[in-house]
Amino acid sequence: MEHSLGYIFGLLVGILVGVGIVALLFKLKVMDLTFDERQERARGQAYKYGFWTLLTCLLLYGFSDQIFGRWCDVLVGAILCIAAALMVFASVCIVKDAYLSLKEKPRTVMTLLAVVSALNLAIGVMNWKGGRVVQDGVLTYAAVNGICGVITLTILVVYVVNYLLAKREAGE
Amino acid sequence: MKNLRLKSARAALDMSQQQLADAVGVSRQTINAIEKGDYNPTIKLCLAICKALNKTLDELFWE
Repeated sequence: MEHSLGYIFGLLVGILVGVGIVALLFKLKVMDLTFDERQERARGQAYKYGFWTLLTCLLLYGFSDQIFGRWCDVLVGAILCIAAALMVFASVCIVKDAYLSLKEKPRTVMTLLAVVSALNLAIGVMNWKGGRVVQDGVLTYAAVNGICGVITLTILVVYVVNYLLAKREAGE
Repeated sequence: MKNLRLKSARAALDMSQQQLADAVGVSRQTINAIEKGDYNPTIKLCLAICKALNKTLDELFWE
């Protein structure tokens, strides 16, 4: 799919602004991702599982493309592989109580995940209804929002279930 | 193996897991994991816990 120079420029500026905002939040200590030693270790294990999931998914994606032909845009294929790896990483972190940093509050993270899921799923549904998600039997980049929505929703569900189980265990 | 000595030393000072965690700069879950014997802390964290609870390493961590 061909895009104009303005489209690509806009995309780059958007990414740069996003990175700038996140960098500023870190500098102002609004975002502080400090983990203790047990969490660092658990996150290391989670990275390992996420890494192998990513490699496996990329291999499967490559094979599927060879066997079935082009069934999705390359960007969507990459996002699907990253999505699987992220879900594994996040789930392992959550189960090992290493998802939240020392300063983060569970309610804030749950709210953020819920908002991001709702927004992405809403855009995903709009794209689906507009017929932009599948064109000529190929999953297009318009599916990316839906995929992001599913990732964040899955992470939210794992988080809430783990949170409730831990709460019940603490109460016993 | 559960670390009951840590739990009782903390309880003796009437400290919650969260209060001890804040005092030594870790998460509450980490203190819980140490007490349950699910996590083996580094010497650095052991020393910080000992200082926070006014105990020696032997009293809390030596078997």
